[in-house]
Amino acid sequence: MNKDQFMAQLHDHLSVLPPEERSELMEDYEAHFTFALQNGKTEEEIAHELGHPAELAKEAIDGRFIPKEPVYWFNPEIPDPGPVQAPVQQQSVRRRSGFTTTMVYIGLCFLNLILVPLLFSFWAVGISLVVSALAGIISPLGVALDYAFGHGFFAAKGYATVALVGVGILLAIASRYVLKALVRISVSYWGWNVRVAKGGTGHE
Amino acid sequence: MDISVQFKKGALELCVLVLIHEHDRYGYELAQSVSQHIEVAEGALYPLLRRLVGEGYCTTYLQESTGGPPRKYYKLTPEGEHYMKRLVIEWKQFVKSVSNLIERGSRL
Repeated sequence: MNKDQFMAQLHDHLSVLPPEERSELMEDYEAHFTFALQNGKTEEEIAHELGHPAELAKEAIDGRFIPKEPVYWFNPEIPDPGPVQAPVQQQSVRRRSGFTTTMVYIGLCFLNLILVPLLFSFWAVGISLVVSALAGIISPLGVALDYAFGHGFFAAKGYATVALVGVGILLAIASRYVLKALVRISVSYWGWNVRVAKGGTGHE
Repeated sequence: MDISVQFKKGALELCVLVLIHEHDRYGYELAQSVSQHIEVAEGALYPLLRRLVGEGYCTTYLQESTGGPPRKYYKLTPEGEHYMKRLVIEWKQFVKSVSNLIERGSRL
């Protein structure tokens, strides 16, 4: 490869760079050729020592110095893009018309008329689970009171209370999961309501 | 790509900084000095020099030469000198660790 071929290839491969950067680099290589020719090397030798234009261009483009701080050419006081985005989002929320808002509220109202009682009934199931677990666990106390007030002691009651304690413990474990799920469902349902009412995107 | 090419590329920056630290040098002089020690594509020097200037480790100045184009000399800035010293320390530690590891491996 002679000098012209080398420079032409390099020029093509550097086409993505801004013109000033490209011409500065081209000048560097141009000067390199001149100095090396003065030292008695042939164009082919020089081009070979320099390396392949495509790889050099890749080096120049990949290793390009990019300022860490964004450079503003017009106004150095432009705030960084972070805070700028927030107001844009607010605008898109506000765009919903009054009519739509009213309809959304009415829709939510009807939906909640059905779903809120349903949620309450789930909660009732959960709470009854807790109550029966408690009842099972404290049933020995009942037997003790029964005996203390002079109704006598029946072996059957003793065995039954042992079984009830076992059931109570199992129910307590079960109710823990049920309560957790109920809290999660309620919280996310409330969150969804708020998002829909405020006009958010409705999903996360 | 040849593995040793990658080694050399990594070391090139350090070599160039040390060479400029010795005294101010122009591009072609740097290319010759570097290739005296390591065999590397000399053309990779110019993108590297541009980056060093962009990062503020080097500055350039032009000096007329007899019977040729003006030479663009590269000079190390105080930050560049600091950076070079840090790189030298890191390089020495790195080379030591790798050699230790290779030695341990060869004893097995």
